[in-house]
Amino acid sequence: MHFFLSLILVSFFISPVFAKDDEVVIGLAAPLTGDQAYTGFGVMQGAKMAVEDANIRGPVFGQTKLRFEALDDQHNPTQAVLVANKFIANPDVLGVVGHFNSSCSKAASAIYHEGRMVQVSPASTNPEISRQGFDTFFRVCATDEVQAPAAATFARVDLGATRVAILDDQTTYGRGLADEFRKRFEKLGGQVLRHDGITQGEKDFMPLLTKIKSVDPELVFFGGIYPEMALLLKQAQKIGLKAKWMGGDGIFDVSLAQLAGQDIAEGAYATMLGVDPHEVPGAQDFVTRYEARYGEIGSFSAYGYDAASVLIEAVRRAGKKDREAVLAQMRVLKDFPGILGPVNFDERGDAIGKSVGIFKMENGKFKFIKEVKPQTSS
Amino acid sequence: MNPELQLFLQQLLNGLTIGMVYALIALGYTMVYGVLQLINFAHGEVFMVGGYLALTAAGLATSLWAGLPFWVILLFLFLFSILGCSLLGAVIERTAYRPLRGSPKLTALISSIGMSFVLQNAVMLIYGSKEQSMPDVLPRWQLDLGGVTVSLIQLIIFATALSLMALLTLFVKRTRMGKAMRAASENPEAASLMGISVNGVIRTTFVLGSALAAVGGSLFAMNYGSLNFHDGYLAGIKAFTAAVFGGIGSIPGAMIGGVLLGVFEGFGAGYISSEWKDVFAFGLLIILLLFRPSGILGENVPEKV
Amino acid sequence: MNLGKASEKIKNLPYPLQIVLFLGPFFLFPLFDKNTYHLDLLTGVGIFALLAMGLNVVVGLTGLLNLGYAAFFGIGAYTYALLNLHWHWSFWCGLPAAGLVSMLFGFLIGMPSIRVRGDYLAITTLGFGEITRIAFNNLDQWTGGPNGLLGIARPRFFNYSFSVNPTPYLYLVLVMIALTAFFLFRMSRSKIGRALVAIREDELAASCMGVPALHVKLVAFGVSAFIAGLAGAVFAAKQTIITPDSFDFVLSVLLLAMVVLGGMGNIWGAVLGALVLGVLPELLRGFAVYRMLIFGLVMILMMIFRPQGILGSQIIRRELGSPKEKGSDGTS
Repeated sequence: MHFFLSLILVSFFISPVFAKDDEVVIGLAAPLTGDQAYTGFGVMQGAKMAVEDANIRGPVFGQTKLRFEALDDQHNPTQAVLVANKFIANPDVLGVVGHFNSSCSKAASAIYHEGRMVQVSPASTNPEISRQGFDTFFRVCATDEVQAPAAATFARVDLGATRVAILDDQTTYGRGLADEFRKRFEKLGGQVLRHDGITQGEKDFMPLLTKIKSVDPELVFFGGIYPEMALLLKQAQKIGLKAKWMGGDGIFDVSLAQLAGQDIAEGAYATMLGVDPHEVPGAQDFVTRYEARYGEIGSFSAYGYDAASVLIEAVRRAGKKDREAVLAQMRVLKDFPGILGPVNFDERGDAIGKSVGIFKMENGKFKFIKEVKPQTSS
Repeated sequence: MNPELQLFLQQLLNGLTIGMVYALIALGYTMVYGVLQLINFAHGEVFMVGGYLALTAAGLATSLWAGLPFWVILLFLFLFSILGCSLLGAVIERTAYRPLRGSPKLTALISSIGMSFVLQNAVMLIYGSKEQSMPDVLPRWQLDLGGVTVSLIQLIIFATALSLMALLTLFVKRTRMGKAMRAASENPEAASLMGISVNGVIRTTFVLGSALAAVGGSLFAMNYGSLNFHDGYLAGIKAFTAAVFGGIGSIPGAMIGGVLLGVFEGFGAGYISSEWKDVFAFGLLIILLLFRPSGILGENVPEKV
Repeated sequence: MNLGKASEKIKNLPYPLQIVLFLGPFFLFPLFDKNTYHLDLLTGVGIFALLAMGLNVVVGLTGLLNLGYAAFFGIGAYTYALLNLHWHWSFWCGLPAAGLVSMLFGFLIGMPSIRVRGDYLAITTLGFGEITRIAFNNLDQWTGGPNGLLGIARPRFFNYSFSVNPTPYLYLVLVMIALTAFFLFRMSRSKIGRALVAIREDELAASCMGVPALHVKLVAFGVSAFIAGLAGAVFAAKQTIITPDSFDFVLSVLLLAMVVLGGMGNIWGAVLGALVLGVLPELLRGFAVYRMLIFGLVMILMMIFRPQGILGSQIIRRELGSPKEKGSDGTS
């Protein structure tokens, strides 16, 4: 038994914990295995490119170069906390781009706060994360407080729907989004006929959809991600549910049309953080380079790039290997030129001025319809 | 048709559809349990592999030989997945269970759990963790019966499941191997004394069960259009519940149990709550095991000292 | 290396000495390695060790396969979290409460479960485990739903408040392991302990000899649930945030694998299993995708080649092994 013990303890000691003076580590936390691995990889690759681009330009300060380290949180809050602890324990890490899922960002945010480490989330949209009073949390995307009301307003005003059914996948993100949608939609005088929950990973929604069909909604809003959306769309068609469908950024993925069948997915609406990177002039170069290297660009790759770029800029301005200094710089950063537009943070760490785009599925691709700017009074 | 009745019939149809698939999987559980008194945890994963093989086959068929009539592709799918899963079933039996024949059930059970994890992970590594979509093989044909929609895949599920169940029953009742299976599940020692190769019977049981699960998996994949490597676990638990429901060890029991569970679950989700859907299945399982472990058609086997 | 013989010798040492010998090095560890990540990992492994020891009571000692053990862990965690968030109970009050509530559920779930046959017991406990997880996820009002509960308070020791630093947690966990080991050693050498082993070896014979099987099995369930509850409270106090997906079937299987690997029925075996299976994924972070595959293979291979685990005794090997190892008394 002691033999085994010493074997394991020795392997601890020989693992590298050498602080390199000429290296600063930019951390990235995202789901790299498990059900959201594909999306997580997209974010990771975007952030990686930002670090590489920065290194090409030269040392970030003095003689110090940047190193990129990605850790997998497996879309699991417990793992997210473990990952956060790992980053904090490494003195070379000055900031972390992460996490991707709201549940993970939220769990880890307390740890980063206690460790005084900057956390920049590329895509966690749940509003509560920035309401916890953690000065270390930032995000470069809009929150569901913008996204959901935008969706609700579009449904009520643009599409003229008065009777909707709401579904959510009971995750931090999905339930939050659905609740915000419901609040705004009812405020606008609409009627929410039903609000049901499904479980991620579930396949059979026929009984549920049959129930929904019986109340005859004009539109169904789904707070969740694209695998379940695809199943819902297909099965709705099977039982003849003739409502329009709408979802949030979670369903905004090229695979949706592929999984559901192009003709079935036709006409589905989605809100997305910002506009399509293919349409943003400043992002073209990034998109071209990304696609040349990694293939199809992920929905959130550009956000990964911007989040990492902001962090790198804060490190550069801090000029030294000190987490508090980097944090101080993040807090006073103004008008950073991200590829998706200028980046500004409010006192809570939320991105200012990040708009939301409404898209409609046409011929297997999401087509941009309109932009909704955040209202200054929330 | 009155909308209440319409809703009821549609829910009934939904339940029957998934119930047929559960029944096909449940048969594998019940047969293996009958012969080995083992809960084959890995069976749910075999079902999932069947689905993935069908997916691969469909991809091959549609890209290599365009324009084939759908029923030819369907047969190809079934054959492909049946072959693959039968082989898999035999391999599982040989590697994870045969060495433990005669060990206490705890040991074999743990081994089967390990095997299910291995399979799940292997599939994830081969096919990726992303949701995989099934190429559209069937024409989008639907029948509208007074507001109740019946789709082609549902009809195919009914037809396939029912005919397979009939075939299996014939096999078990009329053929020599079938008789050998029944004998071995009653009393393995006596059976081997009578010249029956117990090893052969066990292998056949696994192969048959896996073949049925393969068909179930293919139908499942076609019905939902997409697959995820987690699908095996949940469907497996439910099918096992169905097998217990009908009486573990009893083949007609598994069929009835599967269908009833599907209907029960469908009504539960449709009329009560979809969030707690899985709880119905687990809850039913627990109640059954506590109060009537022999199920509907099973016999109460007292423990011999 | 003949571990079987070595562990037999070690087992004959008085148990307080064993505890000092095996846990001592871990107490000294933070003096040599100050890396927070390592300490954090070790603390996590320690919590696993507590859980494995608890599961061992039911699976290893009594021979009952519990596939829903993660539920008790979760119940303990949520109990402390709720007591703390709503009624401001301190950790030191919440800890025993968590254990007791878990134990209560252990009895509740145990009562029906122990009446069913061995392999059915496994499925019943699996069912309860899943129902508990789904309940955590759906009962939003109480459990925060999929978001879980956050802002759980860390323990305070006199004037010292625990923080992100894992070292105090490590000591807390080590002390708990020591106390649990002490208790389990006493139990295994008592009447109850012998009754449990008797039931594992042959329940029918044991009850014919006057062992109140149902009572004793219930005690085993209760004790193991209590330990899991304690572990849950510590977990909640360390993470400060808990979500339902931390308490799923995969964790139950992982814990089972730890008990199996380390040696069923052996208290240190459970700790060893936790150490190996807790540290290995971290060392193999690059191979994370193969994690489940490795666990599965471990379980199959252990059952075929060494069902008694690394530290298991020959007695267990005879109980769990196949007939050809049993010798001439096997059938068929």
